[in-house]
Amino acid sequence: MSRWIVGGLRSGIRTTRFPAAGVIAEEQAGSAVEMRWGQLTAAQALSVAASCPTEAITASGTEEDGTLHFDAGACVMCGKCTRQLPEAFVPVLDPRVAVRSRSQLQMALAWESGRPPTPVDLIREAALVQRRAHRLFRHSLHIRHVDAGSCNGCESELQMLSAPYLDLHRLGLFFTPTPRHADALLVTGVVTANMEGPLLETYRAMPEPKVVIAAGACAVSGGIFANGPTARGPLDRLLPVATYVPGCPPTPQALLHGLLLAIGQASERYGQDLGDDDDAT
Amino acid sequence: MTAASNTRVAAALAGLEVHEEFTDELVAVCPEQDLELKLGTLLQAAGLADWFATTLAGRPPRLTAVLEVPTDPTWLVVHADLSQPAFPSLTQTSHAASWYERDILEMHGLVPQGHPAPAPLRQPPSTGENRLRGRRHLHTEDPEQRHKAVGGPAVTGQGVFRLPLGPVRSGPQESGGFSFMSGGEDIVVVDMTLGFKFRGIERMAEGHPPDEVIQLAERLAGISSFANALAFTRAAERALGASVPPAEEFTRTLFAELERVYSHLGTISRLAEATGLLVAGAQYGLLKEEALRAAGRLSGHRYLRGVLRLGSTELVPQEVDRRWLHRQVTEWVTHTKRLRHLLQETSTFVDRLESTAFLRPEYAAEHNLVGPVGRACAIDHDVRRDHPYGAYSQVEFQVPVVADGDAKARYQVHALELEQSLAIITQLLEKWPTNSPPPSPPSVRAGSALGWAEAPGGQALHFVTLDDEGLVSRWRARPPAVVNWHPFAHACASGNNLTDYPVIEASFAISHAEFDR
Repeated sequence: MSRWIVGGLRSGIRTTRFPAAGVIAEEQAGSAVEMRWGQLTAAQALSVAASCPTEAITASGTEEDGTLHFDAGACVMCGKCTRQLPEAFVPVLDPRVAVRSRSQLQMALAWESGRPPTPVDLIREAALVQRRAHRLFRHSLHIRHVDAGSCNGCESELQMLSAPYLDLHRLGLFFTPTPRHADALLVTGVVTANMEGPLLETYRAMPEPKVVIAAGACAVSGGIFANGPTARGPLDRLLPVATYVPGCPPTPQALLHGLLLAIGQASERYGQDLGDDDDAT
Repeated sequence: MTAASNTRVAAALAGLEVHEEFTDELVAVCPEQDLELKLGTLLQAAGLADWFATTLAGRPPRLTAVLEVPTDPTWLVVHADLSQPAFPSLTQTSHAASWYERDILEMHGLVPQGHPAPAPLRQPPSTGENRLRGRRHLHTEDPEQRHKAVGGPAVTGQGVFRLPLGPVRSGPQESGGFSFMSGGEDIVVVDMTLGFKFRGIERMAEGHPPDEVIQLAERLAGISSFANALAFTRAAERALGASVPPAEEFTRTLFAELERVYSHLGTISRLAEATGLLVAGAQYGLLKEEALRAAGRLSGHRYLRGVLRLGSTELVPQEVDRRWLHRQVTEWVTHTKRLRHLLQETSTFVDRLESTAFLRPEYAAEHNLVGPVGRACAIDHDVRRDHPYGAYSQVEFQVPVVADGDAKARYQVHALELEQSLAIITQLLEKWPTNSPPPSPPSVRAGSALGWAEAPGGQALHFVTLDDEGLVSRWRARPPAVVNWHPFAHACASGNNLTDYPVIEASFAISHAEFDR
């Protein structure tokens, strides 16, 4: 046993300083995809939408007149658009991609009479900001996780949160086995018909106040299973979602950011430089 | 693959005529009335690797058996068209057929006649939601009724109680339902409720081009994304007659092995945590995170998604990345060896695993178990060696086999396989092909073929049928979890206590998503 302790000590402190020290470039893989519309032509927009396996990029119309809708919440990170148009679709290396409002992940472009595409103002729904939850859970959050039909990728990343690199306990975050002790419900997977009941029962068993976090493309938008024969999701059709974490699966740091965002300990980053500032906090 | 290959002889002995041939695959058609006799004869010499139905509009329902003759790299695929929605059950001949037939019953409404417990395979609380086609089946919530339906014993007696677990589990884990019958400490019977996560993934593929279905196959299960997508891609490529250049084959093999590395690291990490060795769990967790980051650096995705393409790959690792990986792997080799020796000398770990969740080798052979679970029960089988594909014929590796059949044996197989995978990666990087020709896009045509790959959990077998436009009309995914959940309840009830359950689950390391599909 002592050899374990010595061996453990010898490996030193490996825990990341994220989020206190800002972003550390440990991750080489993107946490989400961002659209930089400046370089995009109408023809490219139409062709890239055809290759998207989900509804993350949808386009309609012709090269003369048309629209394009981009939804990072439906993106499954297949890499088709980022390889096809690396200038316009860029993997976000900053893991702080979680948002409070679903529409924060969306963007639309329109073009007419052959002019280049320009952004359209989307109707932004108000974010669900739970000030009481923020105040109460500021220092510690107990999380109940429910797998509502994921592929196990999200669970694998959630398990990495407990590994020394991320170590979520240092931030006062804990997984709890019982919903009675839980403050937050973290849901992964498109909600399948068979998991709808257990999911809602878990939510009802949690005391107020409580926050719901949708983690991963499946829970956020349905992802690749959005039109599946047993899909009941996306999650916000069933429960009031306070935080959305995109990704397929979300990287562990993105999950950590999502959890901190849910309790008001982090701020939204994704899409902020695009001039959309409807965040109430 | 000589003219007198064992598979060919077995088919001839059973009176089956081979009517189509691929590399490593013989296809035969069996008349409906001879199904029981001919397949029964075949199963004396061959193992049942898959057994499924295809029901397409305007065509008679078709049953397909995939058989594997030991020591022969050629698969035998037997089709039989049915004139009625029923077929003779093979369960009495081969135990492995039992769950396949219940799956056929549930998904296609074809009745296995003579099956000892013809109940739907997935037993979720809702009614009939998971049927693909045909009549709705009534699911029952009453455990007594369910025991009757699946043929398991209902345990009653003084002091016997039922302990439910799931579908929502305690930590960040997958959803699955278990119900233990116990007299206090011991597990007498386990009743599994699988199918909570049924997403209908096979049906979602229908009518889509295979290139798009790769995205679905990658999401069959997170921790075996690449292997399952590889098996699917290979099936589609074989149906289309596409070939893959050496550099791309090396890339695929490299990524498949990298996936085995992080998956096995995760398995051992969870096993160590289940025995209370948190430091050991953390040490393996560190290595798993490093391996995932390496995957992210090489492919742009931590779970290697978005790499595969028909006849090619989206990328080939650059030389600078390959050199970096070589250094990284050398480090991992040192660490895994050190940790394996430490674990083996830690009595609290070894004692906890010994004789836990024991499976007899005969039981394993009857159920044709795959992967580390099978190899821990003396089943010396690995498709990388027995049906070589990709670049596996160009590297040397061993297939670790242990005969004890308990959790310790499963741990040993995982630990040794991990070191073999690291050795394979090193060899691949050293033998990387130069001057590889560019890939050519495959043509579009109709056809069907089998594809296989060794996933971390065992053999993944995918069968794909493409129509005249080259779209998928049927995709049958048989990932390893489909086979390996079968003995799980049996292993749990082999004289274990309730407190052994986390160890049992971690040692099996099978995914619910892969099974439920």
